[in-house]
Amino acid sequence: MNRMPDTHAEAWALLPWLANGRIAAEDREWVEAHVQGCAECRAELASQRLVASHVNREESASPQPAASEEQRSFNKLWARIEASESVVTPATGTTGTAMAVPRSSRTVRWLAAAVVVQAIGLGILGMTLSNQDSGAVDKFETVTDSEARLDAPAVSLAFAPQTSMGTVNTLLTHQGLSLVGGPGSAGNYRAVLSADAVASGATADSVAAVLSKDPNVTFAQPVAH
Amino acid sequence: MPLQIVDSNTRAVPAPHTDATERELLERIARSKDQAAFRTLYGNYYQRLSRLLARMSVRREDIEEVINDTFWVVWTKAAEFRGASQLSTWIIGIAYRRALNALRRAKLRPVADQPFDEDSISVNSTEEEETNQQWLSQGLERLPVEQRMALELTYTLGHSCEEVAAILDCPVNTVKTRLFRARETLKQVLPGLAGMSGDNS
Repeated sequence: MNRMPDTHAEAWALLPWLANGRIAAEDREWVEAHVQGCAECRAELASQRLVASHVNREESASPQPAASEEQRSFNKLWARIEASESVVTPATGTTGTAMAVPRSSRTVRWLAAAVVVQAIGLGILGMTLSNQDSGAVDKFETVTDSEARLDAPAVSLAFAPQTSMGTVNTLLTHQGLSLVGGPGSAGNYRAVLSADAVASGATADSVAAVLSKDPNVTFAQPVAH
Repeated sequence: MPLQIVDSNTRAVPAPHTDATERELLERIARSKDQAAFRTLYGNYYQRLSRLLARMSVRREDIEEVINDTFWVVWTKAAEFRGASQLSTWIIGIAYRRALNALRRAKLRPVADQPFDEDSISVNSTEEEETNQQWLSQGLERLPVEQRMALELTYTLGHSCEEVAAILDCPVNTVKTRLFRARETLKQVLPGLAGMSGDNS
């Protein structure tokens, strides 16, 4: 094949994307045709495939961050987002300036609200069960999920005072937990595992073990039935 | 069996990393500040970015900060994503710029004239692949960060030339030039590559 200098240079520049399979559709045909007739480009394509293979091998050999590391990082980010958003919450005082809502009071308010919502949810669940043929009930989902089963594996939890609503929400959601009661006299809440979490292999022991390592959790123990 | 993230909407099914699925997650974040969607999107990128940043020589202690700064932008600017490019190019592009800042702060940015440590290469290895891998690791470390990123984005993450240009925020021709230079540098340090070209040209 005749090798036009600019065609060769252009094909040469595009070889990495011929090697990784992401060359633009409009370029693929002419670059492949050029490579067929150009020994230099064929050799370069082979060497680029070698580089790609080495880079990928090196990448796959690099250590993967642990799942707990990812969760810890996310918790930090979420706490930052929460802190930022609480700063712009309008104050109810007389100064007229924005101020942060104390996290602990927000958490307590949220947990209290969660228990109320759970009570409402249980009420609706009861009504639904007693009127199964009377029509559909609008489905809504909260962290105190209507799927929570009282006979499901349960854990007893307590949170650090500064733990934010979002962090509690994250911790519960990501472990597949729903609050079903609390706080008790010691400030503990009771949470049960969702059917999905149980199906994915979670147990009260495993969840308690994971949560007990979280700095926002001061107490996490499985509850014996 | 490891725990899976339980999202009240998607249940325990891990989201596939398709652009359409990720755009849905972003829309949920933009529309209703959906934390579960945000957590899923974060999980989709955490490992990918961790490894990419480590290979950019971002310090271990800075990697988490870069990722979280990136997703801070995703959280706050989700509604501003114009959708002209893939979501992954937007997110990785943000991470790239944050990483450059981290490297500047740490003064650890790799430079092209960094001395090449030939003594560290084991020439006694009987495994050619292993030797090549060691040469390659040394060669990659010699690349300026812009060239290395162009190479990593192309070969590790499999992006097209146009996507790499979008991530690095530069013209397509600049990407080609950076990869051209990276290829030339690697040829100088990788005997296998030089031999391959020489044998066949």
